[in-house]
Amino acid sequence: MAIEKGIRLGTMTLADLKKSGGLEAAMRGFTRFYLGPEFCENLLDGSVCAEIAWLQGQGKKICLLTPLLSEKGARLLNSLFKRLLKLVKGGKIDPAGLEITVNDFGAIELAKRNRLPFKLNAGRLLRNNVFDDAVDGFKVHNGRVLEFFSKLGITRYELSTIGIFPKVNFASGRFYGFNRRTFKITLYYPYLDLTNTRTCLVGMRDVPPEGSALGVTCARECLISSFEITHPSIREKLLVRGNTIFLEFPDKFYASEKDLLTINVDRLVYAPFP
Amino acid sequence: MKIVSCFTDLKELEPLAEAGADEFYTAVGELPAFGSKNLPSTDLAAAIIKTKALGKKISLAVNDLHATATDKQLGAITGRIRDLDKLGVDAFIFSNPYLLELFSGGRKRLRAELHLSSVQPVFNSLSAAFFQRFNISRIILPNQISSHEARKILYFCRTRSIETEIFDYRFFGCAYVNGRCQLHHPIHFTLKSAMLNDSLCHINAKPGGLIKLRNLDIPNRAGELPGIINRIENRFTRRGSPRLSNAATFFDFFASGVQYLKYGTRSDRQEVKVKKVGELRAMIGLAEKLSSSRPRTKASQAFILELAHWNKDGF
Repeated sequence: MAIEKGIRLGTMTLADLKKSGGLEAAMRGFTRFYLGPEFCENLLDGSVCAEIAWLQGQGKKICLLTPLLSEKGARLLNSLFKRLLKLVKGGKIDPAGLEITVNDFGAIELAKRNRLPFKLNAGRLLRNNVFDDAVDGFKVHNGRVLEFFSKLGITRYELSTIGIFPKVNFASGRFYGFNRRTFKITLYYPYLDLTNTRTCLVGMRDVPPEGSALGVTCARECLISSFEITHPSIREKLLVRGNTIFLEFPDKFYASEKDLLTINVDRLVYAPFP
Repeated sequence: MKIVSCFTDLKELEPLAEAGADEFYTAVGELPAFGSKNLPSTDLAAAIIKTKALGKKISLAVNDLHATATDKQLGAITGRIRDLDKLGVDAFIFSNPYLLELFSGGRKRLRAELHLSSVQPVFNSLSAAFFQRFNISRIILPNQISSHEARKILYFCRTRSIETEIFDYRFFGCAYVNGRCQLHHPIHFTLKSAMLNDSLCHINAKPGGLIKLRNLDIPNRAGELPGIINRIENRFTRRGSPRLSNAATFFDFFASGVQYLKYGTRSDRQEVKVKKVGELRAMIGLAEKLSSSRPRTKASQAFILELAHWNKDGF
């Protein structure tokens, strides 16, 4: 069994990818495209629907990334879901070739209410509900949590590389009450999302003491650039894009793809930028 | 609005009650809880008796998302929770959905109430609806939501008799999303030395050279970069991330009918805990007084003004 290869474009449009000269290589190198904002609801945009339809037309599979949601994001996502449903109904999108990654339990509720015909995945912001990755590997908490998500239709979990080949507790699944065949892992590289804030480090203006903020506003500064931070207590450089802080692990952490299959990773997703 | 105060020592209960605590919560080492410093497990039975004698309620935090457990360990955890339920714990604070599911339905239902921890942050009413299926009686809101954004959640909770609780904004307020943060797990990075101020969130570095541009993705917006770099540098050297919680949002939450205000720094010393609870009591008293004598906007303005000069002694 071969590992499926994906690329996370996030909010980078196909037009921008083409402009940068990367579209052809991406089309050649990857079978699945990850589109949409994973970490910030302010970047939710209906134009992604047309890109999904176009990429499917080119024979590609898609995963739509969705972020943590406030009420505003929930409204935007609801209208995005409705557009997708229309495109499915009109035969423009094949539901079998589209997955939705959720990073908020509200998105799961919304998917249920809209009766979405797409497979759902648990995104990286939900990973600690299922896995302990604050160790030197990925430990499933207990079989009951896998059952819990399975009842919601979720059997695929998205995790970030931790820079080393992760130790897992899957072989001792019977002690933890699970069968390793019941779930799969999508592994992103080379960036690990270390922490995330709603009040964007890069874009949001300070809230004056006398002001009650309406919400998180910005000028989409995260689309312009990313930054390196030298933390006085940490040896490695931290990377900031928008509301998320990342670590980068550029070195290959596995000998062969076969090794990845032993830890349930059957899909690798390359993120060209944090 | 009532005060829910943390405690980690039996001796703290009476002074905290005198300072104005209406409810108590704690954590014990044998059950997975978020944060540091716990009540010795052997004192829990006595704490339940004492809080009842004071006429107060007691909740227990079992809210660490990292609740990794073999079936045998999980059996011990659930057994202990059921014992404590029988012993008289009034509420359990959970974050992990599988633990919530275990104790929420049918014959498995605990006698005690179930509170949803802010470590499982609810930022929208759909999420509140998702967790409602576990018969939760209270949602503890994360501090990274504004009162304006929380309006629909508060309405949802009000119409379903779910209580709501917020954190005090002066003594608590991580800039990052609780339950979604790995900054405190140095397994993924290398610490040069001990953490500054016990926390990696507050960098407090000297300005200059901290921030470097990594990628310039949209060259025609490059003119915005100096301002952005300045903003990030300020945040990483002085103020931290923008805070949604302040005096204005507290007043809005208060006026919207949020029932509980939490003080939850379990690692504080007893005298600090008592002083902070006293501060919260006085702050609620001020909000009540101003609301009863002025229209909402005027009361809010007066409250913000008072709070700007409050806390002269500092903490």
